[in-house]
Amino acid sequence: MGGATAALDYDAELMLRVRDGDGASFAQLLEKHRSPVIHFLYRMVQQQAVAEELAQEVFLRVYRSRATYEPTAKFTTWLFRIATHLALNALRDGRNERSQERLDERVEDMPAVELEDRRPSVEQSMVRQAALDEVRRAVADLPGKQRAAVLMHKYREMEYTQIAKVLNCSESAVKSLLFRAYETLRARLAHMA
Amino acid sequence: MKCPLETRDDREILVAYSCRTLNPGDTGRLETHLESCTACAEFVRGQLAVWEALDGWEAAPVSADFDRRLTARIAGQASWWDRLRGRLGMLLVYRALPATAVAALVVVGVLLERPSPPSIPKPTTSPVEALQPDQVVRALDEMEVLDQFNHRMKSDSSSPEM
Repeated sequence: MGGATAALDYDAELMLRVRDGDGASFAQLLEKHRSPVIHFLYRMVQQQAVAEELAQEVFLRVYRSRATYEPTAKFTTWLFRIATHLALNALRDGRNERSQERLDERVEDMPAVELEDRRPSVEQSMVRQAALDEVRRAVADLPGKQRAAVLMHKYREMEYTQIAKVLNCSESAVKSLLFRAYETLRARLAHMA
Repeated sequence: MKCPLETRDDREILVAYSCRTLNPGDTGRLETHLESCTACAEFVRGQLAVWEALDGWEAAPVSADFDRRLTARIAGQASWWDRLRGRLGMLLVYRALPATAVAALVVVGVLLERPSPPSIPKPTTSPVEALQPDQVVRALDEMEVLDQFNHRMKSDSSSPEM
């Protein structure tokens, strides 16, 4: 990505200010990207504590790299590349090996189901919880890169080109990854329609 | 429109349609195609179900002390060496630079003026070879031949010339 594109990226400008010693700009970046990064990592590793630990590492790496930072790509591309790298490493190391057990345990760190004014019955809540568990299991069973691609595509609404840059692969490889991932998810979740 | 599932290059158009990110032109053409293609219609139905299912998956809220923990870790990153170097650097620049420079010159001067100690040659060592018995016998034989040769030469030189 060239300098012209980088010039339009406000986050990259903030990062350049961080490089020049402006701590307030780092706080701004943290405020803006904290939740997206943690939510992405949470859906990757499916444990809130691990996700937050990894997110700490992501922002720590961003801060440590401030002196050598060059806006050669969109800031979010760089940020999610770091996050994805750490998440894939954590998955490889089995840091979230208990995630599957925890899915069965209905863990405390799961988000509270938003209740509408018209309260759902116990059965409705249980059905909804079971459906959510099924979604989480289906996503957890995807290979790491497919999982990352789906989460960036679905929840961050990233374009194929940006996902390709994050995953360091070609755009056609991303299309293929996504197609295969959605194929798997359709096979497991289509009945939920 | 050709069937996207048959022309594999265009199959992501079905995903884009399900995500509602397809442009209006392609959307219209695809919807016309979906009316006659059961395979694509089935694909889209399944994909919409996946999309809806994923929509229901909310992430957990972030811990309230996330920023505080991060700030503490960033502060901890500045190692004791960095802090010491920083303070020492400031001290050198603002207060002790002349004194440090003088001290450095004195040290350099003393080092240059001090006679260097005589160098002691290192003892040379030669490798010791273990001799085999047949090597010893051969050496003795050679010494005997040499001795005979010397003796012969001496006797030849003492005899009168013809």
